Amino acid sequence: MRGEPIEAIRVGLETLVASLRQDPFALENAWLSVITFNRTPQPILPLTELETLQIPAIPQPEAAGTHLGEALEFVCKKVDAEVTLSSPERKGDWMPLLFVMCNGKVSDTQLFSQTVPLLKRKHFGKIVACLVGHHPVTENVRQFTDNILSMDTADSSTIKTFFEWVSTSVSVGNRSIGATDELVLPPPPAEMNAII
Amino acid sequence: MATIKIKATDGSEVEFEDIIIGQGGMKDVYFSPDKSYVVAFFRDKQDFNAKDRLQNITGIYRERIFNQIGGDYWKELYCWPTKTIEHNGKLGLVCPTYQKYFFFAVGSINNDMLGIKGKEKEGKWYASAKNQNKFLAPQERGNWFNYFQVCINISRAVRRLHAAGLAHSDLSYKNVLIDPTTGRAAIIDIDGLVVPGKFPPDVLGTPDFIASEVIKTKHLAKNDTARCLPNIATDRHALAVLIYMYLLYRHPLRGGKVWDTDPAKDEDLSMGEKALFVEHPTDTTNRVKVSDLQPSQLPQGDPAKIPYAVCGPYLKKLFDRAFIDGLHNPCNRPSAQEWEDALLKTVDLMQPCQNPNCWHKWFVFDNTSKPKCPFCGTEYKGQLPVLNLYSSRKVGSFTPEDYRVMVYHNQYLYAWHVNRNLSPNEKLTAGQKKPVGYFVFHNNKWLFVNQTLTDLEDKTENRKIPIGQAVELTDGKQILLSKEEGGRLIVVQLANG
Repeated sequence: MRGEPIEAIRVGLETLVASLRQDPFALENAWLSVITFNRTPQPILPLTELETLQIPAIPQPEAAGTHLGEALEFVCKKVDAEVTLSSPERKGDWMPLLFVMCNGKVSDTQLFSQTVPLLKRKHFGKIVACLVGHHPVTENVRQFTDNILSMDTADSSTIKTFFEWVSTSVSVGNRSIGATDELVLPPPPAEMNAII
Repeated sequence: MATIKIKATDGSEVEFEDIIIGQGGMKDVYFSPDKSYVVAFFRDKQDFNAKDRLQNITGIYRERIFNQIGGDYWKELYCWPTKTIEHNGKLGLVCPTYQKYFFFAVGSINNDMLGIKGKEKEGKWYASAKNQNKFLAPQERGNWFNYFQVCINISRAVRRLHAAGLAHSDLSYKNVLIDPTTGRAAIIDIDGLVVPGKFPPDVLGTPDFIASEVIKTKHLAKNDTARCLPNIATDRHALAVLIYMYLLYRHPLRGGKVWDTDPAKDEDLSMGEKALFVEHPTDTTNRVKVSDLQPSQLPQGDPAKIPYAVCGPYLKKLFDRAFIDGLHNPCNRPSAQEWEDALLKTVDLMQPCQNPNCWHKWFVFDNTSKPKCPFCGTEYKGQLPVLNLYSSRKVGSFTPEDYRVMVYHNQYLYAWHVNRNLSPNEKLTAGQKKPVGYFVFHNNKWLFVNQTLTDLEDKTENRKIPIGQAVELTDGKQILLSKEEGGRLIVVQLANG
């Protein structure tokens, strides 16, 4: 991604933070971390409490390549380092939610295949892949999640809608729960196509 | 933005603007053009049973509550759906818009840094010490007395539902709007009402409020006879949690005990099979660990600093029943009526704190001879008149009632204090809602000024007190309030004397 979609994501993230701050449940509990990636992953926002965080500028990618494997490996390391696990003496953090926005392509296939099983063992509450671009590839992300959303056109309003949806997904913890055990996310916004 | 006009199931006209203003767990919500009502459509297709349930809720159940004498009283306590509609194959409901006071007038501190002005006053804002201490503007917070009023209104609304044989099934701080600036509350999301044996629940409830038996058996099939689903008894658990959270700003079961290192399993155990009151008098397993709390959650988050006993003897008894005896034993849980009664009696034990900077502003009298505010530690200065209420079951003899009224300056006395057959609730007539007299501290004396009582008599001195006259409150003084059936006698006690 370059240009408008990157800027739109930043604006979307700001919308996300603003709406999460208006949710008393999220405000009390949620922390957010943002990692960008092209050839290398780059944490642009370390794990931060909602009330204090500010969304930084997202650098335009200079290198081509979609090293999703490396990015996911990086996410795994961050989870190990930053998510406090429960110990018999102390309650840990709630299971993190992971939202991956990409075009679905993978340039580092070998690392990607090695990382997917690692990622699956990390006990995410939910992993959602959001595919951007006109011809998104679904088979790669399908290896680590069944929750795949495709944005038909990645313009700023679509991305904003997406982040509003992410925000309701984060606050879903204090919603009424149905008769099933799974963490049920709200339905995706109209502009997205859930791929089943 | 397009306005859509359709006909409701009852044939009346319904209009809404075609833009979603909110999304709940199951519904998308739209405004009417004049914003006097909202239209909410279920995203998923509803079966025959659901349709039948909604028709009953908007029809016969609603009429039974609202179309009776005093029915208007409940309009403030519920946001009750009025009509069902169908549009593009989706089933929906028409609901009145929430009252204006349920939207933030100021919002958060620092010129509303969170941007919540105009948003709904969802209960979670108030049930959390962190949100209260760090974010809410002081004008939005209300004082501790207001939270008692909020809890009374919630208990009353739940009591009325249960009296009609209906269970809400999903009481939570999301489904109860509160306004601590005025003490008002309203129950929303009424479309999930459960009727035992007729309309089963379609939600389990909201985390924090689901009863232990529901969590414990949720792995079983829905038609398994051992499976527990929301009903009136689980509503009672949720109500007890709501009251505990609004008065103490923490959760009664979320303590330091880790039952399983897998957080999902730990959650199920600590709210289900292993659920244990954090303030259990003898079992200290689940005590809150202060080191687990954030500084912004203190002092309210630490039960050692602010134990539940600060809520007074009547509520302590009910909390014990809800979170000790009844936690795993649904039939022992206090009913909504018991909560309402205990809250009302507790309000009569409350005193304004003499420290103008006290966060809570009010406290419940602790029955000691040297009363002090348990929150800020300020000792009560001066004499504190305590009225012990006695009532008559046969002419001439009076028996004690375990009912006390603390007196403070400019406090009113009401008809329900005068006669034990009256309760401050929806059944009072307009006349019975007016004060019968008031207390003042005047020229170094505590006086009761009679406004409307025709029988008022100073029994110690055998002297009638006519309307417009006052009687001094002295230690041991007996004052007869009414000679009618159920009429009460006051015996004055001066604490801190």
